[in-house]
Amino acid sequence: MEIQEKLKILSAAAKYDVSCSSSGSKRKNTQGGLGNASESGICHSFAADGRCISLLKILLTNYCCYDCAYCVNRFTNDLPRAMFTPDEIVSLTINFYKRNYIEGLFLSSAVYKNPNYTMELLIEVVSKLREKENFNGYIHLKAIPGADSALIKKAGQLVDRMSVNIELPSSSSLKLLAPQKTKETILKPMSFIGSQINASKYEKRIYRNAPSFVPAGQSSQLIIGATPESDFQILRLSEKLYKGFGLKRVYYSAYVPVSNNPKLPALNSPPLLREHRLYQADWLLRFYGFSSEDLLNENNPNFDTHLDPKTDWALRNIDKFPIEINKASTRELIKIPGIGVRSVRKIASARRVHSLDFDDLKKLGVVLKRAQYFITCKGRYYGSVSFNDQLIKETLKNNVNSKFIYNSRPSNNYEQLSFLTSAPASYIPSDTFTSISGEL
Amino acid sequence: MIIYIYDGSFEGLLTSIYDAYYSKEKPEEIVKNEEYVPSLITNPVYISSDYTKASKVSNAIKEKISPTSLNYIYYAYLSDIKGNGTAIYNYVKLGFRLGKDVDLHLIENSVLKIHQLVKKVTFEYHRFLGFVRFKNVKNKFLYAPIEPDHNILSLITEHFIQRLSNEYFIIHDLKRDIATIYNKREWVIYKLSKEESANLHYSQEEVFYEDLWKDYFESIAINDRLNPKLQKRMMPQRYWKYLTEIQ
Repeated sequence: MEIQEKLKILSAAAKYDVSCSSSGSKRKNTQGGLGNASESGICHSFAADGRCISLLKILLTNYCCYDCAYCVNRFTNDLPRAMFTPDEIVSLTINFYKRNYIEGLFLSSAVYKNPNYTMELLIEVVSKLREKENFNGYIHLKAIPGADSALIKKAGQLVDRMSVNIELPSSSSLKLLAPQKTKETILKPMSFIGSQINASKYEKRIYRNAPSFVPAGQSSQLIIGATPESDFQILRLSEKLYKGFGLKRVYYSAYVPVSNNPKLPALNSPPLLREHRLYQADWLLRFYGFSSEDLLNENNPNFDTHLDPKTDWALRNIDKFPIEINKASTRELIKIPGIGVRSVRKIASARRVHSLDFDDLKKLGVVLKRAQYFITCKGRYYGSVSFNDQLIKETLKNNVNSKFIYNSRPSNNYEQLSFLTSAPASYIPSDTFTSISGEL
Repeated sequence: MIIYIYDGSFEGLLTSIYDAYYSKEKPEEIVKNEEYVPSLITNPVYISSDYTKASKVSNAIKEKISPTSLNYIYYAYLSDIKGNGTAIYNYVKLGFRLGKDVDLHLIENSVLKIHQLVKKVTFEYHRFLGFVRFKNVKNKFLYAPIEPDHNILSLITEHFIQRLSNEYFIIHDLKRDIATIYNKREWVIYKLSKEESANLHYSQEEVFYEDLWKDYFESIAINDRLNPKLQKRMMPQRYWKYLTEIQ
């Protein structure tokens, strides 16, 4: 088979893995070598779905010995199969990298023959790149669940990021849709990678030249909408992954129907709004000091479609507001709906030399559409309606105007049914891009 | 109204600030040569660049304001937005008065203006680390044409030298007719016109990889979630001209 054909098949097979970031690694170029890593990550292009293209995202092969119902590559699916040779991947990576098409390689694979065999092939590719070609660009490698720890360790010393995808957020869903995988086979490599990362960080503190292990950290992915878990269950799982395994990122992938298996829901289109709300909540967990219990609970397990998670939280905790812009600590400021890390930084700088009124905030470029209802400036409240949670809620809900209607489709979706029945169509807020472009 | 006119170089701009500081009649504006439009009410003063004066000003900014502030001034200078010379002049004047705290005064127009210019330049600089596309010319060197809004050529060159330290390459700004040329040891900035680069010959191999890249670009998109508006916001159409995958 020609390389063109292989590339088409094996990139199409890899596209449902949403991770695209190339950040977090400070790998330097070596004498006579090619490439380095950029700590903030670099997007090289944007595909027709608006997602960033940073890495050459391909599978080594899509020949799979598993039959996971949600996966496009399950062996019972009738589709063209292909397999790259390690040299083909090496030459593609080097040639794309030199032309600045990509920031590096994201190599994954279906499970070919068995986990160890597949992992060995993956290692062969990355060690050729690093050792023979002197390639120092970013490499993200998938750890194959069930592969031997010694192989995972070897791989981790060569690459910048590793990931093990959980995909299905509970054991029962795994049993139903991926009978050959178990929670244990997935969590074992994760905790192994996590402990190796910690050990290497410790060694680096003592010996500057100690070998690095997965310097950009590990990530994982959860599929949203293929199984009946609530947003609360999913968010709690992410929280555990961040705290327990020190994950850098958890990605959420709206389930795109790839099969008509009766065990799977019949969706008209992927649940993009739900995915978006989860990303917003994920950011709140990592950068804004929120916990999953702040945002959701057993009685209220799913996010509101009309309000973003932070606004929703603020309205439920209206007694903490309004917050005085000139006096509140940065930790309080960051909890104001509509105000992000950058705005907090600007406010904190500017108020050191000058007390701020409402127009000053506008001038600084702080977005006040939502924030106006939750702040006072020099003691004065500037909201367009009086300070009352019901009134504010009504106003903000009505603000979700028709331009956010994403595509008109009936709302008879599985799982979304419960909270979309009253809405004429699904809404996509204007800030969707931050979540799916994978910045940070 | 006195207007200082400099030759467009950073030294020229700093020399103008020096002369403005020591002259009795202060200028209203500082503009570069090509930006200046003569009129009845303006009184143009042509400033000749002076290295000694310029380095005095840059040292004074570093010591009396801050090194970061000098960096901001350089980035604002690289922005090709009309009025940046005057904006820098106003910022420096305020900076000498307020010292290192000047950048906290974000609600002062002259500070805000500089921060906005810096943001624009930094953003485009970061974007172009991704949007540059090299072509392999006869297996001898890599060549990349660009047309950025701001003069970010020297900034991005530093990045590619780290990355492609073992390659010969040229990055060509066709909007400003300048190019950076790197020979594996050092780099220079050169005048280079569009015409001079028109007859470069690419190898057969180049077409092969360009086609592979186009194929990849197409097959990586998820058709169930097409979003051309988002694509254009993240990758504005004015940049598409030299992006191999999407012309």
